[in-house]
Amino acid sequence: MPPDTSAIDAALLETLRNDPTLRGLAPNGVFFDAAPAGSTRFVIVSLVDAADIGQLGGPAYEDLLYAVEYRELKQVAVESTARAAAQRIRELLDDQPLTVTGYTWMTTHRERPERFTEVDDLDASIKWNRRGGQYRVQMAVG
Amino acid sequence: MAIKTGRYGKVLYDPTGAGGATLVEIISLNAWKLSIKTDKEDVTCFNDTNKVYVPGMKDLSGSVSGFWNSAELTLFEAADAPTPGMLELMPNNTEPTFKWSGLAYLDADIDASLSAPKVSGTFAAAGPWTGPAAP
Repeated sequence: MPPDTSAIDAALLETLRNDPTLRGLAPNGVFFDAAPAGSTRFVIVSLVDAADIGQLGGPAYEDLLYAVEYRELKQVAVESTARAAAQRIRELLDDQPLTVTGYTWMTTHRERPERFTEVDDLDASIKWNRRGGQYRVQMAVG
Repeated sequence: MAIKTGRYGKVLYDPTGAGGATLVEIISLNAWKLSIKTDKEDVTCFNDTNKVYVPGMKDLSGSVSGFWNSAELTLFEAADAPTPGMLELMPNNTEPTFKWSGLAYLDADIDASLSAPKVSGTFAAAGPWTGPAAP
């Protein structure tokens, strides 16, 4: 039976969700692709690119690129934790092995940092801080 | 018979040169190439309307490549060996009788960068080779 790529996604999410420091910085939680309505401080993980790298006889490894971003609604009365959250994400992921059934970890590392402000299309007074990075994860099959 | 995928290709090697049951698959490879070329001697003469050749000696050589795997050192051991080993190349393991094999000397390379390190090797015939028989 081939290994389950979604288990890699799940392991990445669990790494982030299980960290109390990141939970304090992003109290709404860590989500794949979208956060629940009403969330104002959270982490979004999304898959940017993925490839199965083959070898003779079957797959060699899976090459996955994730965007991992802390997002917060800019509010005058609330101090931004974007910098600390992005740094904590990096501490949790950079060079940290992932344990996933059916795979052997090869690497997890940041390929590029990300930082920008998103302005709401309908209400320019609503702004979101987005900070984090794109993380390369490679897992050997078997 | 039909066109087959290369996904199930196979490269086997036996350092003793015996072949057969002692061949072992070289793992973590993702490509191989075999070149079978015969020297052609130019025997063009006066008044020929085009160049004319006669065949000389057949040459077999090629390459294999894949990923570095610390559990698989066959290529590098073969590159160090003073005697040739038996090399067997199969386009698809669902047709195991269709293969090329023969004694070969191997060289090895490793290319390490920030991506998964790659290995490759070249080989040259060291004895008679056999190929798949025509159906």
